[in-house]
Amino acid sequence: MNVRFERLALTTLVIPEGRLDFGAAAAFQRHIEEVLAGAATASAAVIIDCSALDYVSSAGLRVFLLAARAAQRAGTSFALCALKPAVREVFELSGFSRIICVHTDRATALASAPREPA
Amino acid sequence: MTLPAAGTSQSRRTLPFANTDRLPEYTIAQGERVRLGASVQQTRGSVQDRAQHEGKSRRSMSMAPARRAAQALTAPVRGLAELLLLPRGRYARAFENLILALIVLSVASIGVETIPGLPGWAARALRIEEIVVVGVFSLEYLLRIVAAAEKRAFIVSFNGLVDLLAIAPFFLAGFDTRWLRLLRWLRLLRVLKLQTHILEATVAERTRELADKNAALERAQAQIKAELEVARALQMAILPAAFPATAGCDGAARMIPATTMGGDFYDFIELPDGRIGLVIADVSGKGVPAAFFMAVARTNLRDLAAHHADPGACLAETNEVLCTQNPLDLFVTVFYCVFDPGSGVLTYANGGHNPPYVHHPDGSVETLDGAGGLALGVMPGVVFPDHTTRLLPGDRLLLYTDGVTEAFNPSDEAYGTQRLLAEVQAPGDGAAAALIERICRSVTSFAGTAPQSDDITLTVLTRKAP
Repeated sequence: MNVRFERLALTTLVIPEGRLDFGAAAAFQRHIEEVLAGAATASAAVIIDCSALDYVSSAGLRVFLLAARAAQRAGTSFALCALKPAVREVFELSGFSRIICVHTDRATALASAPREPA
Repeated sequence: MTLPAAGTSQSRRTLPFANTDRLPEYTIAQGERVRLGASVQQTRGSVQDRAQHEGKSRRSMSMAPARRAAQALTAPVRGLAELLLLPRGRYARAFENLILALIVLSVASIGVETIPGLPGWAARALRIEEIVVVGVFSLEYLLRIVAAAEKRAFIVSFNGLVDLLAIAPFFLAGFDTRWLRLLRWLRLLRVLKLQTHILEATVAERTRELADKNAALERAQAQIKAELEVARALQMAILPAAFPATAGCDGAARMIPATTMGGDFYDFIELPDGRIGLVIADVSGKGVPAAFFMAVARTNLRDLAAHHADPGACLAETNEVLCTQNPLDLFVTVFYCVFDPGSGVLTYANGGHNPPYVHHPDGSVETLDGAGGLALGVMPGVVFPDHTTRLLPGDRLLLYTDGVTEAFNPSDEAYGTQRLLAEVQAPGDGAAAALIERICRSVTSFAGTAPQSDDITLTVLTRKAP
Protein backbone atom coordinates (compact mmCIF):
# COMPACT_ATOMS: atom_id res chain seq x y z
CA MET A 1 0.00 0.00 0.00
CA ASN A 2 1.20 3.51 -0.88
CA VAL A 3 0.44 6.64 1.16
CA ARG A 4 0.60 10.24 -0.13
CA PHE A 5 0.38 13.41 1.89
CA GLU A 6 -0.92 16.88 1.01
CA ARG A 7 -0.91 20.07 2.99
CA LEU A 8 -3.72 22.63 2.60
CA ALA A 9 -3.33 25.56 4.98
CA LEU A 10 -3.79 24.04 8.45
CA THR A 11 -5.09 20.71 7.22
CA THR A 12 -3.03 17.58 6.48
CA LEU A 13 -4.51 15.23 3.92
CA VAL A 14 -3.47 11.58 4.11
CA ILE A 15 -4.20 9.64 0.92
CA PRO A 16 -3.82 5.85 1.25
CA GLU A 17 -3.83 3.93 -2.02
CA GLY A 18 -4.64 0.25 -2.56
CA ARG A 19 -5.47 -2.32 0.09
CA LEU A 20 -5.30 -1.65 3.81
CA ASP A 21 -5.09 -5.21 5.12
CA PHE A 22 -3.32 -6.94 8.00
CA GLY A 23 0.06 -6.68 6.27
CA ALA A 24 -0.25 -2.95 5.54
CA ALA A 25 -1.88 -1.92 8.82
CA ALA A 26 1.28 -1.49 10.93
CA ALA A 27 3.01 0.76 8.38
CA PHE A 28 -0.13 2.84 7.85
CA GLN A 29 -0.51 3.22 11.60
CA ARG A 30 3.03 4.67 11.82
CA HIS A 31 2.24 7.17 9.03
CA ILE A 32 -0.92 8.34 10.79
CA GLU A 33 0.84 8.59 14.15
CA GLU A 34 3.54 10.80 12.59
CA VAL A 35 0.96 13.03 10.97
CA LEU A 36 -1.02 13.34 14.20
CA ALA A 37 2.15 14.14 16.16
CA GLY A 38 2.91 16.92 13.66
CA ALA A 39 -0.72 18.07 13.62
CA ALA A 40 -0.72 18.68 17.36
CA THR A 41 1.47 21.72 16.81
CA ALA A 42 1.27 22.74 13.17
CA SER A 43 -2.10 21.73 11.81
CA ALA A 44 -5.70 22.05 12.79
CA ALA A 45 -7.09 18.97 11.08
CA VAL A 46 -6.22 15.59 9.65
CA ILE A 47 -8.36 14.24 6.81
CA ILE A 48 -7.95 10.76 5.39
CA ASP A 49 -8.91 10.90 1.73
CA CYS A 50 -10.01 7.33 0.91
CA SER A 51 -10.75 7.93 -2.79
CA ALA A 52 -7.90 5.55 -3.77
CA LEU A 53 -8.47 3.03 -1.00
CA ASP A 54 -9.85 -0.23 -2.45
CA TYR A 55 -10.17 -2.42 0.63
CA VAL A 56 -10.05 -2.19 4.42
CA SER A 57 -9.76 -5.28 6.61
CA SER A 58 -10.61 -5.41 10.31
CA ALA A 59 -6.94 -4.73 11.11
CA GLY A 60 -7.21 -1.59 8.95
CA LEU A 61 -10.39 -0.52 10.73
CA ARG A 62 -8.48 -0.76 13.98
CA VAL A 63 -5.90 1.75 12.71
CA PHE A 64 -8.67 4.26 11.93
CA LEU A 65 -10.18 3.68 15.36
CA LEU A 66 -6.82 4.24 17.11
CA ALA A 67 -6.19 7.36 15.02
CA ALA A 68 -9.62 8.81 15.83
CA ARG A 69 -9.00 8.23 19.54
CA ALA A 70 -5.51 9.74 19.44
CA ALA A 71 -6.82 12.78 17.55
CA GLN A 72 -9.60 13.22 20.08
CA ARG A 73 -7.09 13.12 22.95
CA ALA A 74 -4.87 15.68 21.19
CA GLY A 75 -7.78 17.92 20.31
CA THR A 76 -7.13 17.53 16.58
CA SER A 77 -10.02 17.34 14.15
CA PHE A 78 -10.05 13.96 12.40
CA ALA A 79 -12.25 12.82 9.52
CA LEU A 80 -12.46 10.44 6.58
CA CYS A 81 -13.79 11.31 3.16
CA ALA A 82 -14.57 9.92 -0.29
CA LEU A 83 -14.99 6.26 0.69
CA LYS A 84 -15.44 3.78 -2.14
CA PRO A 85 -18.63 1.66 -1.83
CA ALA A 86 -16.80 -1.47 -0.59
CA VAL A 87 -14.93 0.49 2.08
CA ARG A 88 -18.07 2.44 3.03
CA GLU A 89 -19.88 -0.86 3.55
CA VAL A 90 -17.18 -2.10 5.94
CA PHE A 91 -17.45 1.12 7.97
CA GLU A 92 -21.22 0.94 8.09
CA LEU A 93 -21.46 -2.77 8.96
CA SER A 94 -18.95 -2.51 11.78
CA GLY A 95 -20.68 0.57 13.15
CA PHE A 96 -17.49 2.62 12.78
CA SER A 97 -19.15 5.21 10.53
CA ARG A 98 -21.15 6.18 13.63
CA ILE A 99 -18.11 6.93 15.78
CA ILE A 100 -15.69 8.27 13.15
CA CYS A 101 -16.60 11.36 11.15
CA VAL A 102 -17.06 10.38 7.47
CA HIS A 103 -17.65 12.92 4.68
CA THR A 104 -18.88 12.11 1.18
CA ASP A 105 -16.07 13.99 -0.60
CA ARG A 106 -12.96 16.04 -0.03
CA ALA A 107 -14.64 19.43 -0.50
CA THR A 108 -17.17 18.71 2.23
CA ALA A 109 -14.44 17.47 4.53
CA LEU A 110 -12.31 20.58 3.97
CA ALA A 111 -15.34 22.84 4.44
CA SER A 112 -16.04 21.36 7.85
CA ALA A 113 -12.40 21.37 9.00
CA PRO A 114 -11.65 24.12 11.54
CA ARG A 115 -10.08 27.30 10.12
CA GLU A 116 -8.10 28.26 13.20
CA PRO A 117 -5.61 26.15 15.13
CA ALA A 118 -7.38 24.20 17.84
CA MET B 1 17.70 -39.71 50.48
CA THR B 2 19.35 -41.74 53.21
CA LEU B 3 23.06 -41.90 53.78
CA PRO B 4 24.56 -45.38 53.37
CA ALA B 5 26.22 -46.89 56.40
CA ALA B 6 30.02 -46.95 56.33
CA GLY B 7 31.51 -50.13 54.96
CA THR B 8 28.46 -51.11 52.96
CA SER B 9 28.62 -51.79 49.30
CA GLN B 10 27.15 -48.29 48.75
CA SER B 11 30.18 -46.59 50.28
CA ARG B 12 32.54 -48.82 48.33
CA ARG B 13 30.71 -47.96 45.18
CA THR B 14 31.46 -44.26 45.51
CA LEU B 15 35.13 -44.77 46.26
CA PRO B 16 36.43 -45.73 42.83
CA PHE B 17 35.31 -42.35 41.48
CA ALA B 18 36.78 -40.43 44.39
CA ASN B 19 40.23 -41.99 44.28
CA THR B 20 40.98 -44.35 41.46
CA ASP B 21 44.50 -45.08 42.63
CA ARG B 22 43.17 -46.70 45.78
CA LEU B 23 40.73 -48.86 43.93
CA PRO B 24 42.68 -52.14 44.01
CA GLU B 25 42.56 -52.11 47.82
CA TYR B 26 38.76 -52.53 47.70
CA THR B 27 36.99 -55.65 46.80
CA ILE B 28 34.06 -55.34 44.50
CA ALA B 29 31.64 -58.21 44.71
CA GLN B 30 30.97 -60.08 41.52
CA GLY B 31 27.25 -59.15 41.47
CA GLU B 32 27.95 -55.51 42.14
CA ARG B 33 30.38 -55.10 39.29
CA VAL B 34 27.56 -55.64 36.87
CA ARG B 35 25.48 -52.92 38.46
CA LEU B 36 28.33 -50.46 38.56
CA GLY B 37 28.44 -50.36 34.82
CA ALA B 38 31.08 -49.81 32.22
CA SER B 39 32.58 -46.60 33.58
CA VAL B 40 33.98 -48.31 36.65
CA GLN B 41 35.26 -51.17 34.58
CA GLN B 42 37.07 -48.69 32.41
CA THR B 43 38.46 -46.87 35.41
CA ARG B 44 39.79 -50.11 36.80
CA GLY B 45 41.24 -51.01 33.46
CA SER B 46 43.04 -47.75 33.03
CA VAL B 47 44.39 -47.85 36.57
CA GLN B 48 45.83 -51.28 35.93
CA ASP B 49 47.34 -50.11 32.64
CA ARG B 50 48.93 -47.18 34.33
CA ALA B 51 50.35 -49.36 37.06
CA GLN B 52 51.84 -51.70 34.46
CA HIS B 53 53.17 -48.76 32.51
CA GLU B 54 54.75 -47.23 35.59
CA GLY B 55 56.29 -50.56 36.47
CA LYS B 56 57.83 -50.79 33.04
CA SER B 57 59.19 -47.24 33.12
CA ARG B 58 60.62 -47.85 36.54
CA ARG B 59 62.56 -50.77 35.12
CA SER B 60 63.75 -48.78 32.13
CA MET B 61 64.79 -45.89 34.38
CA SER B 62 67.29 -48.02 36.12
CA MET B 63 68.63 -49.31 32.84
CA ALA B 64 68.91 -46.13 30.70
CA PRO B 65 69.23 -42.76 32.46
CA ALA B 66 69.84 -41.00 29.14
CA ARG B 67 66.50 -42.15 27.74
CA ARG B 68 64.78 -41.00 30.92
CA ALA B 69 66.27 -37.52 30.46
CA ALA B 70 65.18 -37.51 26.85
CA GLN B 71 61.66 -38.50 27.88
CA ALA B 72 61.52 -35.70 30.46
CA LEU B 73 62.49 -33.23 27.75
CA THR B 74 60.00 -34.49 25.19
CA ALA B 75 56.89 -32.91 26.72
CA PRO B 76 58.12 -29.28 26.87
CA VAL B 77 59.72 -29.55 23.42
CA ARG B 78 56.51 -30.96 22.03
CA GLY B 79 54.58 -28.11 23.66
CA LEU B 80 56.95 -25.58 22.12
CA ALA B 81 56.55 -27.22 18.72
CA GLU B 82 52.77 -26.95 18.99
CA LEU B 83 52.98 -23.28 19.92
CA LEU B 84 55.33 -22.36 17.09
CA LEU B 85 54.64 -24.73 14.20
CA LEU B 86 51.05 -25.92 14.07
CA PRO B 87 48.79 -23.77 11.89
CA ARG B 88 46.55 -23.15 14.94
CA GLY B 89 49.57 -22.65 17.27
CA ARG B 90 49.53 -19.48 19.33
CA TYR B 91 52.83 -18.07 17.99
CA ALA B 92 52.82 -19.84 14.62
CA ARG B 93 52.29 -16.69 12.61
CA ALA B 94 54.90 -14.69 14.53
CA PHE B 95 57.43 -17.52 14.19
CA GLU B 96 56.82 -17.81 10.45
CA ASN B 97 57.28 -14.06 10.08
CA LEU B 98 60.60 -14.34 11.92
CA ILE B 99 61.70 -17.14 9.58
CA LEU B 100 60.58 -15.08 6.60
CA ALA B 101 62.61 -12.08 7.81
CA LEU B 102 65.67 -14.28 8.40
CA ILE B 103 65.44 -15.79 4.92
CA VAL B 104 65.40 -12.33 3.36
CA LEU B 105 68.23 -11.15 5.62
CA SER B 106 70.31 -14.22 4.91
CA VAL B 107 69.94 -13.94 1.14
CA ALA B 108 70.55 -10.20 1.24
CA SER B 109 73.78 -10.83 3.14
CA ILE B 110 75.15 -12.65 0.10
CA GLY B 111 75.10 -9.40 -1.81
CA VAL B 112 76.46 -7.33 1.07
CA GLU B 113 79.38 -9.70 1.60
CA THR B 114 80.55 -9.22 -2.00
CA ILE B 115 80.97 -5.47 -1.50
CA PRO B 116 84.71 -4.81 -1.68
CA GLY B 117 86.36 -3.11 1.31
CA LEU B 118 83.57 -4.01 3.75
CA PRO B 119 84.44 -2.64 7.20
CA GLY B 120 85.42 -5.19 9.85
CA TRP B 121 82.38 -4.50 12.08
CA ALA B 122 80.04 -5.13 9.14
CA ALA B 123 81.67 -8.46 8.42
CA ARG B 124 81.35 -9.41 12.08
CA ALA B 125 77.67 -8.39 12.09
CA LEU B 126 77.08 -10.56 9.04
CA ARG B 127 78.70 -13.52 10.80
CA ILE B 128 76.51 -13.01 13.91
CA GLU B 129 73.51 -12.75 11.64
CA GLU B 130 74.44 -16.03 9.95
CA ILE B 131 74.82 -17.73 13.35
CA VAL B 132 71.37 -16.45 14.44
CA VAL B 133 69.83 -17.64 11.16
CA VAL B 134 71.41 -21.08 11.45
CA GLY B 135 70.46 -21.24 15.16
CA VAL B 136 66.80 -20.43 14.58
CA PHE B 137 66.58 -22.71 11.53
CA SER B 138 68.22 -25.55 13.44
CA LEU B 139 65.79 -25.12 16.32
CA GLU B 140 62.90 -25.16 13.88
CA TYR B 141 64.26 -28.31 12.16
CA LEU B 142 64.57 -30.03 15.52
CA LEU B 143 61.07 -29.03 16.58
CA ARG B 144 59.63 -30.27 13.31
CA ILE B 145 61.23 -33.65 13.79
CA VAL B 146 59.88 -33.81 17.35
CA ALA B 147 56.41 -32.76 16.23
CA ALA B 148 56.28 -35.12 13.25
CA ALA B 149 54.31 -38.31 13.79
CA GLU B 150 56.43 -40.12 11.18
CA LYS B 151 59.90 -38.74 11.85
CA ARG B 152 61.72 -40.62 9.11
CA ALA B 153 59.07 -39.70 6.59
CA PHE B 154 59.48 -36.05 7.53
CA ILE B 155 63.27 -36.10 7.20
CA VAL B 156 63.12 -37.46 3.65
CA SER B 157 60.12 -35.35 2.63
CA PHE B 158 60.49 -32.24 0.44
CA ASN B 159 59.97 -29.95 3.44
CA GLY B 160 62.45 -31.91 5.55
CA LEU B 161 65.10 -31.74 2.82
CA VAL B 162 64.54 -28.02 2.27
CA ASP B 163 64.95 -27.39 5.99
CA LEU B 164 68.12 -29.46 6.05
CA LEU B 165 69.57 -27.70 2.97
CA ALA B 166 69.02 -24.36 4.71
CA ILE B 167 71.34 -25.27 7.56
CA ALA B 168 73.52 -28.18 6.43
CA PRO B 169 75.97 -26.09 4.34
CA PHE B 170 76.91 -24.08 7.45
CA PHE B 171 77.60 -27.16 9.54
CA LEU B 172 79.64 -28.70 6.70
CA ALA B 173 81.65 -25.67 5.53
CA GLY B 174 81.13 -22.84 8.05
CA PHE B 175 80.82 -19.33 6.65
CA ASP B 176 82.15 -20.14 3.16
CA THR B 177 78.80 -21.33 1.84
CA ARG B 178 77.67 -18.00 0.53
CA TRP B 179 75.95 -19.15 -2.68
CA LEU B 180 74.38 -22.22 -1.08
CA ARG B 181 72.42 -19.82 1.11
CA LEU B 182 70.29 -19.12 -1.96
CA LEU B 183 68.69 -22.52 -1.26
CA ARG B 184 66.96 -20.80 1.64
CA TRP B 185 64.57 -19.19 -0.85
CA LEU B 186 62.96 -22.64 -1.06
CA ARG B 187 61.86 -22.17 2.56
CA LEU B 188 59.43 -19.50 1.34
CA LEU B 189 57.26 -22.31 -0.01
CA ARG B 190 56.57 -23.50 3.50
CA VAL B 191 55.66 -20.00 4.70
CA LEU B 192 53.12 -19.64 1.90
CA LYS B 193 51.70 -23.06 2.72
CA LEU B 194 51.27 -22.13 6.37
CA GLN B 195 49.46 -18.90 5.48
CA THR B 196 47.02 -20.95 3.41
CA HIS B 197 46.55 -23.34 6.31
CA ILE B 198 45.79 -20.49 8.70
CA LEU B 199 43.31 -19.02 6.24
CA GLU B 200 41.61 -22.37 5.75
CA ALA B 201 41.45 -22.96 9.49
CA THR B 202 39.85 -19.53 10.00
CA VAL B 203 37.30 -20.12 7.25
CA ALA B 204 36.49 -23.57 8.66
CA GLU B 205 36.02 -22.09 12.11
CA ARG B 206 33.72 -19.32 10.86
CA THR B 207 31.73 -21.88 8.87
CA ARG B 208 31.34 -24.01 11.97
CA GLU B 209 30.24 -21.01 14.06
CA LEU B 210 27.70 -20.09 11.41
CA ALA B 211 26.39 -23.65 11.29
CA ASP B 212 26.09 -23.68 15.10
CA LYS B 213 24.14 -20.41 15.12
CA ASN B 214 21.94 -21.70 12.31
CA ALA B 215 21.21 -24.86 14.25
CA ALA B 216 20.34 -22.81 17.36
CA LEU B 217 17.99 -20.64 15.30
CA GLU B 218 16.36 -23.70 13.80
CA ARG B 219 15.87 -25.21 17.23
CA ALA B 220 14.30 -21.96 18.51
CA GLN B 221 12.02 -21.77 15.49
CA ALA B 222 10.99 -25.40 15.86
CA GLN B 223 10.12 -24.75 19.49
CA ILE B 224 8.00 -21.69 18.66
CA LYS B 225 6.29 -23.65 15.92
CA ALA B 226 5.57 -26.55 18.27
CA GLU B 227 4.15 -24.16 20.88
CA LEU B 228 1.96 -22.47 18.29
CA GLU B 229 0.68 -25.86 17.19
CA VAL B 230 -0.28 -26.65 20.78
CA ALA B 231 -1.98 -23.26 21.10
CA ARG B 232 -3.82 -23.87 17.84
CA ALA B 233 -5.02 -27.26 19.08
CA LEU B 234 -6.21 -25.60 22.31
CA GLN B 235 -8.02 -22.90 20.35
CA MET B 236 -9.74 -25.43 18.09
CA ALA B 237 -10.66 -27.48 21.16
CA ILE B 238 -12.68 -24.65 22.75
CA LEU B 239 -14.83 -24.38 19.61
CA PRO B 240 -17.77 -26.79 19.85
CA ALA B 241 -17.13 -29.88 17.77
CA ALA B 242 -20.81 -30.63 17.11
CA PHE B 243 -24.19 -28.96 17.14
CA PRO B 244 -26.20 -29.90 20.26
CA ALA B 245 -28.66 -32.65 19.39
CA THR B 246 -31.99 -30.88 19.22
CA ALA B 247 -35.29 -32.03 17.78
CA GLY B 248 -36.47 -29.95 14.86
CA CYS B 249 -33.21 -28.37 13.80
CA ASP B 250 -29.72 -29.16 12.63
CA GLY B 251 -26.56 -27.12 12.69
CA ALA B 252 -22.93 -27.24 11.64
CA ALA B 253 -19.91 -24.92 11.65
CA ARG B 254 -16.33 -24.69 10.49
CA MET B 255 -13.41 -22.33 11.13
CA ILE B 256 -10.29 -22.32 8.91
CA PRO B 257 -7.66 -19.97 10.36
CA ALA B 258 -5.44 -18.01 7.95
CA THR B 259 -2.43 -18.18 10.25
CA THR B 260 -1.74 -20.85 12.85
CA MET B 261 -3.96 -19.01 15.31
CA GLY B 262 -7.31 -17.60 14.24
CA GLY B 263 -9.29 -14.56 15.37
CA ASP B 264 -12.66 -15.88 14.19
CA PHE B 265 -14.92 -18.03 16.30
CA TYR B 266 -18.36 -19.58 16.38
CA ASP B 267 -20.32 -21.08 19.22
CA PHE B 268 -23.43 -23.12 19.92
CA ILE B 269 -24.85 -22.41 23.37
CA GLU B 270 -27.58 -24.51 24.98
CA LEU B 271 -29.59 -22.01 27.01
CA PRO B 272 -31.42 -22.92 30.24
CA ASP B 273 -34.84 -22.29 28.63
CA GLY B 274 -34.22 -24.90 25.90
CA ARG B 275 -33.36 -22.38 23.20
CA ILE B 276 -30.06 -22.52 21.34
CA GLY B 277 -27.68 -19.61 20.99
CA LEU B 278 -25.60 -19.28 17.81
CA VAL B 279 -22.58 -17.01 17.65
CA ILE B 280 -20.25 -16.00 14.85
CA ALA B 281 -17.49 -13.48 15.49
CA ASP B 282 -14.40 -11.93 13.91
CA VAL B 283 -11.62 -10.33 15.96
CA SER B 284 -9.66 -7.52 14.28
CA GLY B 285 -6.19 -8.60 13.18
CA LYS B 286 -4.65 -12.04 13.15
CA GLY B 287 -2.30 -14.34 14.99
CA VAL B 288 -1.68 -14.74 18.70
CA PRO B 289 -3.14 -11.36 19.90
CA ALA B 290 -6.37 -11.96 17.97
CA ALA B 291 -6.52 -15.54 19.26
CA PHE B 292 -6.19 -14.37 22.88
CA PHE B 293 -8.90 -11.76 22.43
CA MET B 294 -11.05 -14.38 20.73
CA ALA B 295 -10.74 -16.68 23.74
CA VAL B 296 -11.64 -13.85 26.15
CA ALA B 297 -14.61 -12.74 24.03
CA ARG B 298 -15.92 -16.24 23.49
CA THR B 299 -15.70 -17.17 27.19
CA ASN B 300 -17.40 -13.97 28.38
CA LEU B 301 -20.16 -14.20 25.80
CA ARG B 302 -20.85 -17.85 26.64
CA ASP B 303 -20.96 -17.12 30.39
CA LEU B 304 -23.23 -14.09 29.99
CA ALA B 305 -25.55 -15.82 27.50
CA ALA B 306 -27.00 -17.98 30.28
CA HIS B 307 -28.06 -14.85 32.20
CA HIS B 308 -29.63 -12.85 29.37
CA ALA B 309 -32.72 -13.90 27.48
CA ASP B 310 -32.19 -11.14 24.91
CA PRO B 311 -29.17 -11.24 22.61
CA GLY B 312 -28.85 -7.43 22.62
CA ALA B 313 -28.51 -7.25 26.40
CA CYS B 314 -26.00 -10.09 26.31
CA LEU B 315 -23.85 -8.30 23.71
CA ALA B 316 -24.07 -5.04 25.65
CA GLU B 317 -22.76 -6.63 28.82
CA THR B 318 -20.09 -8.61 26.95
CA ASN B 319 -18.99 -5.31 25.41
CA GLU B 320 -18.66 -3.71 28.86
CA VAL B 321 -16.48 -6.59 30.04
CA LEU B 322 -14.32 -6.59 26.89
CA CYS B 323 -13.71 -2.84 27.12
CA THR B 324 -12.05 -3.39 30.51
CA GLN B 325 -9.89 -6.30 29.25
CA ASN B 326 -8.56 -4.79 26.06
CA PRO B 327 -4.98 -3.48 26.38
CA LEU B 328 -4.30 -3.82 22.63
CA ASP B 329 -7.41 -1.92 21.50
CA LEU B 330 -8.69 -4.90 19.56
CA PHE B 331 -12.35 -5.30 18.77
CA VAL B 332 -14.63 -8.10 17.68
CA THR B 333 -17.63 -8.08 15.39
CA VAL B 334 -20.29 -10.46 16.73
CA PHE B 335 -23.59 -11.74 15.43
CA TYR B 336 -25.52 -13.47 18.18
CA CYS B 337 -28.92 -15.09 17.69
CA VAL B 338 -31.14 -17.24 19.87
CA PHE B 339 -33.29 -19.86 18.17
CA ASP B 340 -36.37 -21.50 19.64
CA PRO B 341 -36.58 -24.93 18.00
CA GLY B 342 -40.23 -25.33 18.96
CA SER B 343 -41.66 -22.12 17.51
CA GLY B 344 -38.93 -21.31 15.00
CA VAL B 345 -38.56 -17.80 16.46
CA LEU B 346 -35.12 -16.33 15.96
CA THR B 347 -34.06 -13.33 18.06
CA TYR B 348 -30.83 -11.66 17.10
CA ALA B 349 -28.54 -8.70 17.73
CA ASN B 350 -25.63 -7.57 15.60
CA GLY B 351 -22.38 -6.15 16.94
CA GLY B 352 -20.91 -4.81 13.69
CA HIS B 353 -20.90 -8.14 11.85
CA ASN B 354 -21.81 -9.04 8.24
CA PRO B 355 -25.57 -9.63 8.17
CA PRO B 356 -26.40 -13.33 7.79
CA TYR B 357 -28.62 -14.83 5.11
CA VAL B 358 -31.76 -16.89 5.38
CA HIS B 359 -32.38 -19.27 2.47
CA HIS B 360 -36.01 -20.26 2.00
CA PRO B 361 -37.13 -23.53 0.42
CA ASP B 362 -38.53 -21.57 -2.57
CA GLY B 363 -34.97 -20.50 -3.43
CA SER B 364 -35.26 -16.90 -2.28
CA VAL B 365 -32.62 -15.43 0.03
CA GLU B 366 -33.29 -12.89 2.74
CA THR B 367 -30.67 -10.74 4.47
CA LEU B 368 -31.02 -10.41 8.24
CA ASP B 369 -30.57 -6.66 8.17
CA GLY B 370 -31.74 -4.31 10.82
CA ALA B 371 -29.92 -1.60 12.67
CA GLY B 372 -26.77 -3.10 14.11
CA GLY B 373 -24.61 -2.01 16.96
CA LEU B 374 -20.93 -1.23 17.03
CA ALA B 375 -18.24 -3.93 17.10
CA LEU B 376 -17.55 -5.07 20.69
CA GLY B 377 -14.55 -3.75 22.58
CA VAL B 378 -14.49 -0.33 20.88
CA MET B 379 -16.18 1.72 23.60
CA PRO B 380 -18.47 1.11 26.57
CA GLY B 381 -22.10 2.14 26.77
CA VAL B 382 -23.17 0.81 23.37
CA VAL B 383 -26.76 -0.37 22.85
CA PHE B 384 -27.44 -3.40 20.65
CA PRO B 385 -31.04 -3.50 19.42
CA ASP B 386 -32.85 -6.85 19.31
CA HIS B 387 -34.61 -8.04 16.17
CA THR B 388 -36.96 -10.97 15.73
CA THR B 389 -37.82 -13.15 12.75
CA ARG B 390 -39.16 -16.66 12.29
CA LEU B 391 -37.52 -19.59 10.55
CA LEU B 392 -40.04 -21.76 8.74
CA PRO B 393 -39.51 -25.47 8.22
CA GLY B 394 -36.84 -25.93 5.52
CA ASP B 395 -35.31 -22.47 6.09
CA ARG B 396 -31.54 -22.32 6.38
CA LEU B 397 -29.67 -19.61 8.27
CA LEU B 398 -26.10 -18.92 7.10
CA LEU B 399 -23.68 -16.99 9.29
CA TYR B 400 -20.24 -16.19 7.86
CA THR B 401 -17.21 -13.98 8.38
CA ASP B 402 -15.70 -11.71 5.72
CA GLY B 403 -12.86 -14.22 5.24
CA VAL B 404 -15.35 -16.04 2.98
CA THR B 405 -16.48 -13.15 0.77
CA GLU B 406 -13.03 -11.51 0.85
CA ALA B 407 -11.08 -14.60 -0.14
CA PHE B 408 -8.97 -13.44 -3.10
CA ASN B 409 -7.83 -15.41 -6.12
CA PRO B 410 -4.43 -14.98 -7.82
CA SER B 411 -5.95 -12.25 -10.09
CA ASP B 412 -6.87 -10.28 -6.94
CA GLU B 413 -10.62 -10.76 -7.36
CA ALA B 414 -12.73 -11.27 -4.23
CA TYR B 415 -14.97 -14.33 -3.84
CA GLY B 416 -17.85 -11.96 -3.08
CA THR B 417 -21.43 -12.42 -1.94
CA GLN B 418 -22.72 -13.42 -5.40
CA ARG B 419 -20.63 -16.61 -5.48
CA LEU B 420 -21.54 -17.34 -1.86
CA LEU B 421 -25.27 -16.98 -2.57
CA ALA B 422 -24.94 -19.12 -5.71
CA GLU B 423 -23.61 -21.97 -3.53
CA VAL B 424 -26.42 -21.47 -1.00
CA GLN B 425 -29.03 -21.58 -3.75
CA ALA B 426 -27.47 -24.47 -5.67
CA PRO B 427 -29.53 -27.67 -5.60
CA GLY B 428 -28.14 -30.56 -3.62
CA ASP B 429 -27.90 -31.95 -0.12
CA GLY B 430 -29.72 -29.52 2.15
CA ALA B 431 -28.07 -30.64 5.39
CA ALA B 432 -26.10 -27.98 7.30
CA ALA B 433 -22.80 -29.86 7.20
CA ALA B 434 -23.15 -30.53 3.46
CA LEU B 435 -23.74 -26.83 2.70
CA ILE B 436 -20.67 -25.80 4.70
CA GLU B 437 -18.59 -28.43 2.94
CA ARG B 438 -19.81 -27.18 -0.46
CA ILE B 439 -19.05 -23.51 0.32
CA CYS B 440 -15.59 -24.33 1.69
CA ARG B 441 -14.73 -26.33 -1.45
CA SER B 442 -15.99 -23.51 -3.64
CA VAL B 443 -13.95 -20.84 -1.78
CA THR B 444 -10.81 -23.00 -1.78
CA SER B 445 -11.01 -23.76 -5.49
CA PHE B 446 -11.71 -20.08 -6.25
CA ALA B 447 -8.70 -18.87 -4.22
CA GLY B 448 -6.45 -21.46 -5.92
CA THR B 449 -2.80 -20.72 -5.24
CA ALA B 450 -3.45 -17.32 -3.62
CA PRO B 451 -2.57 -17.32 0.11
CA GLN B 452 -5.50 -17.24 2.53
CA SER B 453 -5.51 -13.68 3.89
CA ASP B 454 -8.21 -13.98 6.55
CA ASP B 455 -9.84 -16.63 8.73
CA ILE B 456 -12.77 -18.36 7.07
CA THR B 457 -15.72 -19.24 9.32
CA LEU B 458 -19.18 -20.52 8.50
CA THR B 459 -22.14 -21.56 10.61
CA VAL B 460 -25.40 -22.98 9.27
CA LEU B 461 -28.66 -23.63 11.10
CA THR B 462 -31.52 -25.41 9.36
CA ARG B 463 -35.06 -25.79 10.64
CA LYS B 464 -36.09 -29.26 9.57
CA ALA B 465 -39.30 -29.85 7.70
CA PRO B 466 -41.76 -31.68 9.99
